[in-house]
Amino acid sequence: MYLYNEFDQTLVNERVEQFRDQTTRFLNGDLTEEQFRPLRLMNGLYIQTHAPMLRVNIPYGLLSSKQLRMLAHISHKYDKDYGHFTTRQNMQFNWPELERVPDILADLASVQMHSIQSSGNCIRNTTSDPLAGVCADEIEDPRPYCEIIRQWSTLHPEFSYLPRKFKIAVSGSPKDRAATQVHDIGLHVKKDEAGQVGFEVLVGGGLGRTPVIGQTIAPFIAEEDLLSYLEAILRTYNRFGRRDNKYKARIKILVRETGLDTFKEQVEQEWASIKDGQLKLTNDNIQRVKSYFTPLNYETANDEALEQHLANSGAFRQWFQQNTKAHKQAGYRVAFISLKSPTCPPGDITNVQMEHVADLADQFSFGQIRTTHDQNLALTDVKSSDLYALWQQLTAHELATANIGTITDMICCPGLDFCSLANASSIDIAQGITDRFTDSAIDTGNISLKMSGCMNGCGHHSIGEIGILGVDKKGEQWYQLTLGGSDSHQSKLGERLGKAIAKDDVVDAIDDIVHVYKANRTDNEDFASTLQRIGLQPFKDKVYDAH
Amino acid sequence: MTLIKNSEIVQDHWTVLDENQALQADHNIIDLDYWNANKDALIASKAPLGLLVQGDTGPDQFIDDIQHFELIAINFPSFVDGRGYSLAKTLREKHHYTKEIRAVGEVLPDQALYLTRVGFDALEFPTKEAGLLALEKLSEFSVFYQAAAN
Repeated sequence: MYLYNEFDQTLVNERVEQFRDQTTRFLNGDLTEEQFRPLRLMNGLYIQTHAPMLRVNIPYGLLSSKQLRMLAHISHKYDKDYGHFTTRQNMQFNWPELERVPDILADLASVQMHSIQSSGNCIRNTTSDPLAGVCADEIEDPRPYCEIIRQWSTLHPEFSYLPRKFKIAVSGSPKDRAATQVHDIGLHVKKDEAGQVGFEVLVGGGLGRTPVIGQTIAPFIAEEDLLSYLEAILRTYNRFGRRDNKYKARIKILVRETGLDTFKEQVEQEWASIKDGQLKLTNDNIQRVKSYFTPLNYETANDEALEQHLANSGAFRQWFQQNTKAHKQAGYRVAFISLKSPTCPPGDITNVQMEHVADLADQFSFGQIRTTHDQNLALTDVKSSDLYALWQQLTAHELATANIGTITDMICCPGLDFCSLANASSIDIAQGITDRFTDSAIDTGNISLKMSGCMNGCGHHSIGEIGILGVDKKGEQWYQLTLGGSDSHQSKLGERLGKAIAKDDVVDAIDDIVHVYKANRTDNEDFASTLQRIGLQPFKDKVYDAH
Repeated sequence: MTLIKNSEIVQDHWTVLDENQALQADHNIIDLDYWNANKDALIASKAPLGLLVQGDTGPDQFIDDIQHFELIAINFPSFVDGRGYSLAKTLREKHHYTKEIRAVGEVLPDQALYLTRVGFDALEFPTKEAGLLALEKLSEFSVFYQAAAN
């Protein structure tokens, strides 16, 4: 993985001191709340319902065991012994004290981490495929390009006061595991006929109040032109994006109101003047970063021991089938660690569990951990013969819930319990769904369920096969259901099932939906196919006749 | 007002002309409307001129006349409005404007460094205290991932 040199380290250290000074001036009354707000946001610090919330970047979802141990340490020393993984592969701490945040940032800097631009109207952490570098279908490892984008976007002087936040995701495989189509910019690695690496560039995707699937603005931009093209899009957005209404300030609205063709013309006109300037990447630039992501030292291994354990243990077999995936290297597997156990809110992990995962990464997976956009972790390079030992240890720490991809592996925002934007709670609904479906989840088959506590959509409800959106109706919490969304390479927005449902009836309604699916599916038909075949009506009938 | 130019507090010789103010002998900063309405007379007077534009003013609205101005002042209606950054960068990088680009309006000392990185060489602050703090903030970082515009 990428390692900071002296330059990178100096920059994050100076950032810590800058924020320490800003915090002191705010606490002394020399900066108003209004003036401090954008400054603290650009360091990932929100003021939430109970306390500040600090969001820490995990660049493209890659962590070393040392970094994860530091997150454990921070959660113990400054917070309440746990952290929360977000849909953008970052970690949030819900209970830090403002006065101590500069110390947290200093601790993070000591392990080459930061929270720069993890919130605010600037370029956020670049996210990517959690299986980058290990999946067999990959065209090219996207992580070096993510790191190049991280550096270019960090403390960018021109793009730190944008109309609204700006998110970039990069996928290196035809199968999109990074939800690139619902990002402000989505990049798909491509190769042209000559074998040159480049990117298909999507623009204007996003969730929130107005969910939009991104559209292709450029079918192929050569890798050397990556940064100049991004800069051209950002400059066009910074100039023309709306600033009169924050709900209409994202680039998706600009693209819609301008029209993709005109927007593309504006971008390309801008690009023409900077394309061959300082931002052009040289082969040396790219190779330097690529040298940090060379293949790991895999050993020759076979699956003999694995086969034996699979034959002997049903529980292990279930975990193996549900929570592990193929690796490009024979004799290795990707093991997912579910953070959707029946005893914990989705995406939460305790400091003790973080320590254990760090140890297991050292023992079994080259000391590296990935975070996924569906709020789980992955050890991506585990020898097949080690899987049984890994599973045993995960089981001992309540980290072996065999539910990856099932209805209980849901994406969920923190909701009304923590977030000052939320209209409705999500954690207790998640708990209700987990209780109802834990025993039948695997039998039910894979269903992606995503839930947000308000229309800002942090829980990605619009692209869940089952989406749940919390709404406020005269001070009461109600929930709007959608069906048929998708975050795969053919992203799709879900359709509204009908009128919103009272809080007490939500779990029953989900149960009804699952029943209709199970009663109508043929053999191994997945949820999306059944829905497409029979339509929304049978689901509507069942849910609304019942209540 | 306190003016910082090239990392020093300096005396300001310029006057920003508001609507009802008469033209000073020279060193007037006028807005685009005034310029367009009085262009010929202003050119004939040969007095040094500055142009005040807003962050969302398109460069095409004044770029053909830019040789007449000793400085371009870009106004920030709010410190969270980042359009002026792109305008300054565009003037430097695309149009190779080498004279003064001045940030005026609502600008915070904490923004001084980013402003200079995109091409502002003059920053106007409401008080001396803010100006002194801005000077400190100019050396807050010793390394940058992005090349400077000037």
